[in-house]
Amino acid sequence: MSVLSRTPLSDGPTEFPTGPAPRRRMSVRDRLRRSVPGVIALGALAGLWQLSSVFLSPVATPSLTEIWSSMQAIVTDWAQLENLVRTGVRILIGLLLAFAIGMVPGVLMGFSEGIRTYLRPILYFVQGIPALSWVVFAVLWFTDAEVRIAFILVMVTFPNFSLFVEGAVRGVPQELRELGHAFRASRWNQFRQIVLPAITPAILSSWAVNLGNGVRAVVVAELVGATVGVGNRLLLAQSLFNMADAMAWTLLLVLMLLLFQTVLNLIESRLLAWRPVGERR
Amino acid sequence: MNAASPTALVRFDGVGKEFSKRGHRFRAVDELTFSVHGSERVAIVGETGSGKSTALNLLLGLTRPTDGEVRVIGLDPFAQFSELAGRVGIIFQSARLLDWRTAVGNAAFGLEMLGVGRSERLGIATDWLTRLGLGSFLEAYPHELSGGMRQRVSIARTMAIRPEVLVADEAFSALDEMTAASVRADLLALLAEEEMTTIFVTHSVPESVTLADRVLVFTRPGQVRRVVDVRDLRSRGRSDSEIEEQVRAGLRDSGAGAGVAGRPDTHD
Repeated sequence: MSVLSRTPLSDGPTEFPTGPAPRRRMSVRDRLRRSVPGVIALGALAGLWQLSSVFLSPVATPSLTEIWSSMQAIVTDWAQLENLVRTGVRILIGLLLAFAIGMVPGVLMGFSEGIRTYLRPILYFVQGIPALSWVVFAVLWFTDAEVRIAFILVMVTFPNFSLFVEGAVRGVPQELRELGHAFRASRWNQFRQIVLPAITPAILSSWAVNLGNGVRAVVVAELVGATVGVGNRLLLAQSLFNMADAMAWTLLLVLMLLLFQTVLNLIESRLLAWRPVGERR
Repeated sequence: MNAASPTALVRFDGVGKEFSKRGHRFRAVDELTFSVHGSERVAIVGETGSGKSTALNLLLGLTRPTDGEVRVIGLDPFAQFSELAGRVGIIFQSARLLDWRTAVGNAAFGLEMLGVGRSERLGIATDWLTRLGLGSFLEAYPHELSGGMRQRVSIARTMAIRPEVLVADEAFSALDEMTAASVRADLLALLAEEEMTTIFVTHSVPESVTLADRVLVFTRPGQVRRVVDVRDLRSRGRSDSEIEEQVRAGLRDSGAGAGVAGRPDTHD
């Protein structure tokens, strides 16, 4: 008898007779309302800055208007804007490399206590090395500026990826691992269908943390040897005592980070749409 | 009565399993012998520590016997683990659904592991969910379903692969009695249609009598103390409560306390 020809056995469970509850999405109005305190706090900070620019030297604290002019000059001139774009691309490439490199020990440590025992101390050691030390090592070891920057970014961020992934793999419930085994799933299928989806929230969290780390590290890296990039422009602004430019580059970098975070949130809301509303970020 | 039959679908023949814990060796299962034939429904009851879980793990090939022989559909489930893919299915005590998959995605999981194509597996999964009364919940995520509904999805997931041997490990004990009765009735109806060989592991004596043709009463260390032939007793006009009393007598003989088989409708 064909499976498809059979009729239902019962009228179905009675707990939710009309189907699952619709998944609530936050309205634009709610989102705006939630962002009000943040806007107020940042507005207060900008007001304080503007106030201090009245009393202090314009070299130390340029007015908001001057900073705005510098930002406009940057974004309307490709030769300037290219610095920001190059920095953004370096961050993304560096983080992608770090993720690819960090994922492997993370997964291995998550599965094997033996590997964890050996690799963890190394990762903690690497994590403890300041970004500036990596800059020095990079200058001594590599001649190409892009290689130096990528190296610094990878070394600063990959231990974080590894440790996040390790924790997440270890956190995959034993019940689910047994499920894969009981259904005779291949190792690859167990990883792809059970482990990987289970650790996706942790992977996204590690990206959120490392985007911030990456921005900080790339600027330090670009201070040495790079002729293009926000770090280089900051160095130039410092040597010319141009605080307005320094602030403009900094603000644009922060805006770029916010843009990356927004994209990450969009990816997260798509990948983790299955989560109950209360568990989403 | 409980000798292993060479033609049985599931055969345990003098099986022993020894574990070592902090240097101390103990046998969870010792000289365990029983058979389950095609289309038969057998319940295993026994006190905690009577070797039910070990026997289950041996049957599923999750652990290797220390001695004796286990055969499932003629295969060694441990040595020929992957050859039993799709031929042995299990329904767990908890639903063990994947939170990131919808009901239909979860129900299709087993088929996916067997390499069944997407549209075919989703069609089969949809059909099983509909048969289990979840036709309106195909796209619901596990957190949107009640405990009973989640267990129905897990039943659909296992039934969808149409295993030759089905194992239900305390499949209803995590549910409240009303929900358990409803899910149990639906599963029984499905099994009657499918004529699937089924082994129920349960703590509940009434459940064992309701579900099975034969009840195997396990005793420490993992041996069959008594076999109660439910079908035969029913054909001789015995009531369910009389049959349950026979199972309880077996449990008493095995030294199991009242908590194990005690009040008729309790599950530990």
